Amino acid sequence: MVADAAERLLNLIIALTHAPRRMTRDEIRDTVEGYAPRPRGADEADVKKSDAAFERMFERDKDDLRRMGVPLRTVTDPLDGADIGYKIIAADAAMPPLDLTPAEVAVLSLAAEYWQGATLGDDARLALTKVASHTPHQVTEPMPWAARATASRDATSMLVDAIHERQVIRFDYTSSSSGYGHRTVEPWRLVVRGGTEYLVGRDVDKDETRTYRVSRVHGTVKITGEAGAFERPAEIPSSIFSDSMGGHAVIALRPESGHALRARATPLDDVTARDLAVESASIGVTASELANVHAPGEWELFSIRYEHLDMLRDEVLSLRGGAKVISPEALADSVVDFARRALEVARG
Amino acid sequence: MAEKALPRLTRLLGIMAYVQDQGESPFEELAEHFGVSVSQIRKDVNALWSAGLPGHAGGDLIDFDAYLYEQDVASIVDSQGVTQIRLSTREAVALVGALSSMLASGAAPDVAMSANDKIRALLGADDPVTVVPTADVDRAIAAALQQAVIRKRVVEVDYVDAADRRTSRTIEPHRLVAIDAVAYVECYCRRAQDYRTLRIDRMVGANVTKEPVVCPPADASGFSLVPQFQATVLAARGARWVLEDLPGVRLYEVGDDVRATFDVVDVDWVADRLLAIAPYLRLVEPEPVREALAQHADAVLAAVAG
Repeated sequence: MVADAAERLLNLIIALTHAPRRMTRDEIRDTVEGYAPRPRGADEADVKKSDAAFERMFERDKDDLRRMGVPLRTVTDPLDGADIGYKIIAADAAMPPLDLTPAEVAVLSLAAEYWQGATLGDDARLALTKVASHTPHQVTEPMPWAARATASRDATSMLVDAIHERQVIRFDYTSSSSGYGHRTVEPWRLVVRGGTEYLVGRDVDKDETRTYRVSRVHGTVKITGEAGAFERPAEIPSSIFSDSMGGHAVIALRPESGHALRARATPLDDVTARDLAVESASIGVTASELANVHAPGEWELFSIRYEHLDMLRDEVLSLRGGAKVISPEALADSVVDFARRALEVARG
Repeated sequence: MAEKALPRLTRLLGIMAYVQDQGESPFEELAEHFGVSVSQIRKDVNALWSAGLPGHAGGDLIDFDAYLYEQDVASIVDSQGVTQIRLSTREAVALVGALSSMLASGAAPDVAMSANDKIRALLGADDPVTVVPTADVDRAIAAALQQAVIRKRVVEVDYVDAADRRTSRTIEPHRLVAIDAVAYVECYCRRAQDYRTLRIDRMVGANVTKEPVVCPPADASGFSLVPQFQATVLAARGARWVLEDLPGVRLYEVGDDVRATFDVVDVDWVADRLLAIAPYLRLVEPEPVREALAQHADAVLAAVAG
């Protein structure tokens, strides 16, 4: 008998691929190399023990095959619904041609490093072995590129699984508007935008489509309920990631400060500032507010688009007085509130 | 400990696919290609050779050329239809996620785009990830640094550091790194006379010179900084997601609060992170962290008043 799990799985793949119609659990157990056949003439206790050991091993093997992408089909006997068998269709299982160039394979090899210790790193390494299987050998020089995720979480791989299996998930989350709480969500898609990972799905309790920042998910994601529990919409509602998300802010910067912010912002000169004041309804700033701040040499005005108010707030706070918010008012207020609350804790 | 089942199974299938595609393959070539020893390849070929249909009757097993095997060359006589399995969704996502992050940062070689497209095509309608590009990095600066890294040329950059000071630096670039989709260049900085990791989106100009890079790359990564001391923060649970990302952090739930103990490398950086979760904070230790936090908050309020 073969003791090695990889060799047993290999024999199982060959057997299920060649089976004319399907193989039942008993057929697999009795004939596939690597499984202990059903004991003959043993007493009831030994049979039970042997049955349980096979069930454990076979369940783990099925999980392993599915994890590595083998499309394992369940074929039920038309006359007896309880009689289940298994089959692999070779054409479904085989790797389609990828036609990757050696340079493309080399860039893929950076992916395993990216996830570091997280579960997706193991998946990336398996993927690289698969990709290498159909690529001619070529010695490549080390590439002067690298990629890493410092806060790569196992949450991401759990989310990918749950989206794929269409399973409801539960997690703890801090929202920028409503604070800390539990969420129960039908996960639809992961969206990566500007280096931030988002989960889009339906909040089951509120019955609404919601977007969550994966970095704001606490600890682990719990998968609850059965696979195939809901339908994913073919397209995520465009309103979730349209330009209507966020808005425009007017920020005053000290000369020679806020360079990273300047790089993304539009400077407002006297004329533009006056024009904006005329259209103040659109940005929520009055002419007098602009005049107050627009002291040449002391402050310079910029208009900047933001997606998340709290991210812009963090950026303004981190400039340590090099910036102040002119509009919107909610942002200006929250900057002041955060600074005051910090003082309360730091100085009592 | 024995090798885990899935990496070995994937390599066994890989050897079958590779030898069928490429024909006679020396063990040494297979060892290099799959990143294992020659003796491991021999064990793998032996395992494949004795694998096959139930019953293991003659003609039902995978078969290799015995004469070539003696010369450490794999050549398949009968494959039993065994070849590599397609990528699982998670495997494809693991590749696409990493490539997307590099592409979004701007620190990616040109082939990353085509490699990404080919893997995404495999996922088809089952692709659970959408990547929305944004334009925070100055593409011209990123492209200049790419050229400098490939051609190993010295670059003059205008750089704005985390404390918002603008400086001109002459750097010897070694590698472009995307960390959480933010692009950095690992380099030797002549101004600091030391190795540095600089954010590309903090560069406001980059000029590639004709001068070649002479300093070798640093052995250690630019992120192995030495902590000065440990700090402890007690905060409402809602701040946990920020605390989870602090370096070397250990978290304990205390009722509805969370206590975080972590390493402080740069006290101002820590103060920035804490200022961002100020309403959740209950207790900050030790005093130097409180002082930095208070100074930052004072400066913010002074600007609003002025």
